[in-house]
Amino acid sequence: MICWSCQKAAGEGVLCAACGAVQPPDSKADYFQVFGIPEVYALDEAGLEQRYKELTKLLHPDRFARADPRARRASLERSVQLNEAWRTLKDPIRRAEYMLLLAGIDIGEMAGTGRQPADHVTLPVPPVLLMEVMELREALAAAHAAKDVHETEALIAKVQSRLKTVVEDVAKGFAASPPELSFVAARLVGVRYYRRFLDEARLLWEQEGAGPGKDHSHAG
Amino acid sequence: MPVDALFQIAEPGQAESKEACKGRAVGIDLGTTNSLVAVVKAGQPTCLRDASGALLPSVVNYAVDGSVAVGRRAREAAVSAPRDTIASVKRFMGRGPADAEATRKLTPYRFAESGGNDAVVRFLVAGGTRTVTPMEVSAEILRVLRVRAEAALGGELDGVVITVPAYFDDGQRQATRDAGRLAGMEVMRLLNEPTAAALAYGLDKRAAGTFAVFDLGGGTFDISILKLEGGVFEVKSTGGDSALGGDDFDRAVAAHLLRCMGLPEDAGGDARLARGVLDAARAAREELTQAEEATVTVELSPGKSWSGPLARAEVEALVRPVLERCAGPVKRALRDAGLEPAQLSGVILVGGATRMPIVRRFVADLFGREPLGDIDPDEVVALGAAIQADLLAGGGRDDVVLMDVVPLSLGLEMMGGVTEKLIYRNTTVPCGAVQTFTTYADNQTGFDLHVVQGEREMVADCRSLARFKLGGIPPMTAGMARLQVRFTVDADGILSVSAREERTGKEASIRVKPSYGLGDDEVERMIRDSFEHADDDLGARLLAVERVEADRILNATRAALAASADLLQPGEREAIEAGMAALDTARAGTDHLAVRAAVAALDEASKEFARRRMNVALGESVRGQALDTVEKKVTGK
Repeated sequence: MICWSCQKAAGEGVLCAACGAVQPPDSKADYFQVFGIPEVYALDEAGLEQRYKELTKLLHPDRFARADPRARRASLERSVQLNEAWRTLKDPIRRAEYMLLLAGIDIGEMAGTGRQPADHVTLPVPPVLLMEVMELREALAAAHAAKDVHETEALIAKVQSRLKTVVEDVAKGFAASPPELSFVAARLVGVRYYRRFLDEARLLWEQEGAGPGKDHSHAG
Repeated sequence: MPVDALFQIAEPGQAESKEACKGRAVGIDLGTTNSLVAVVKAGQPTCLRDASGALLPSVVNYAVDGSVAVGRRAREAAVSAPRDTIASVKRFMGRGPADAEATRKLTPYRFAESGGNDAVVRFLVAGGTRTVTPMEVSAEILRVLRVRAEAALGGELDGVVITVPAYFDDGQRQATRDAGRLAGMEVMRLLNEPTAAALAYGLDKRAAGTFAVFDLGGGTFDISILKLEGGVFEVKSTGGDSALGGDDFDRAVAAHLLRCMGLPEDAGGDARLARGVLDAARAAREELTQAEEATVTVELSPGKSWSGPLARAEVEALVRPVLERCAGPVKRALRDAGLEPAQLSGVILVGGATRMPIVRRFVADLFGREPLGDIDPDEVVALGAAIQADLLAGGGRDDVVLMDVVPLSLGLEMMGGVTEKLIYRNTTVPCGAVQTFTTYADNQTGFDLHVVQGEREMVADCRSLARFKLGGIPPMTAGMARLQVRFTVDADGILSVSAREERTGKEASIRVKPSYGLGDDEVERMIRDSFEHADDDLGARLLAVERVEADRILNATRAALAASADLLQPGEREAIEAGMAALDTARAGTDHLAVRAAVAALDEASKEFARRRMNVALGESVRGQALDTVEKKVTGK
């Protein structure tokens, strides 16, 4: 890469090796490359966070509030990419989904990233899972109708423990040699249903538990 | 780009280069009730004050004669001219007429009838002769602060940071930035108020850990959870209600007072009474922060007033239901941050309303700990904004960085009126998302895109931000055209949207019609007008000053000629009278410089005469002493 500022070889870093100007992001880089770490599921989360903050201090648009427009644009784009990479890799489920996507398996969860490999496979959702989620929703509706906060909380806890099991299974799948990607994918397929359930359940829980706060227009 | 679009469609970061910093960057807290400006001097943030202190009441009066008053004078004018005096304009920023309707109960304002698809609130002021938008009203407040800062710093400002409630949506942020531009300021950054407060605490008090900032201002409530560590201020989550604040306390108290008077809760549409009761409610609420009981007096009509006692306990009972609306957003913000109250290192209080003992008790109960309050809750936001302005202007400290979040999810309307979220709330900014759409009908040559902000599933329950039309796509079978829509949220929390048809790679045209806020043309017109008016206003003020001066010297000279004709030298009367006639002529014109020159000429012509008069009047003993001051007195200068 040639630096936009000094026209010399910029090197691989976020800043030009020659003049220190912030370089625009490589749009083809995957999120592991953004952090300069190997593509491994079991990563050091604390180390990743530290790296994220170091990079943020270097790249944040506040650093370039009065810089050249090209530097400001590069800083904005790089920060956008860095934040997206961090959001994806810090979360064990999003990280797993992303790694499957890199392997060409799309479980329909990566909306918003613009990544759709040409040969992607979309997995069907098992009917058993759909049945379970339907039952959970019915229980939630009944709990809400009865204003039973404890039942709502119990349902939330139940689904949270399901998600915890999924995370454990996913870690095992990636730890196997070779990684059992189809097993991981099968475990992840239901996650979006669990998550959506949790979103709704928490909203109802807030309404039940938050007293007069429930009717304001911004209830999330 | 000459003027930023309300939605920038151009690629972000291409605005013209900002000028090199000269060290005059300030932070402004543009508050619902009061506004402040602060600057970092010798490493310390300080609020800039005028004779009456740091707080500038956020009140603007538009008089029938065309003059505009801001601050205390405007607040005094509110009593006699409630319809022409806009207070709490922040509540209307980036809001449409429908939103204004909701707050209309017990507001004294008149709104201009919105013509057609006008999406901006317009106040009818100056006795119904002028309409102003909330952005223009805010710009008047900002101009006063700009003048104050420029006077204190001795030159033009290089840039400002203006704070906004964390929970402000995109339209409200756009409106705030537009107000800054109308006031002739370079807005370097919009900063969330709780983050500003945390910055003031974090850098001043060297705090580290995870903090909740509970910010209850005049019109908005924000809660932010921040992690402070090694110079990184990371907002974990934020929540709030952009229509909840001390104003609502005042409304509740005012409604109670009206009930006590046996009057309807909307004051029967009497604007003067409504203003009077609201002011009395606020004064009582402030007094009851210290006192246990207050006496409230409200003028019902000239010469007739109502008076009654009000106890703190009564006020607390009235405000408690409003205050409890803060609990939901607090719980949600804690949950979004994945924290229990016990995991916090402290709770920071911001906003004048947090001085009330009931608010402090409420916060202590909610978080299970006593809140911190060692920085003045009225000043802390402006101080933090000054720190950020200093950081942006390159004032050292490259070890500090602020990481803020999107307060409300951003998405697009899908078939069936369902929201598809592209960016979720509490995502760290700057951030972006890309989504690809295809055509659903054969030979479809355009897309209608509707950008919305909010958490709800249905578009109708979210706030409409903008509608796009993307046309010019060549006819293809359904599903062939692929539209890539990109959302980018910058560090101000403002959204840019761009869209491109992938398959043809052709430049597709885009048209943006902001649902709230002003069109680009209108912002440009207003900026032009404000410059023109600024000249007009300044010219008119200077002329008025010179005319007053002219009248003084003319009267004094006339009196002197009548009283001391015996002291005139031959020809002196003619010269002085010629000077007076010239000044009369200049005074009748509109050129303030001509008036000033004529004043100086008359002064010169009458100087010797004045000196002789003085000598006679004062005698030998004081002659030669303090001549200038005495002379000024004699000539009325």
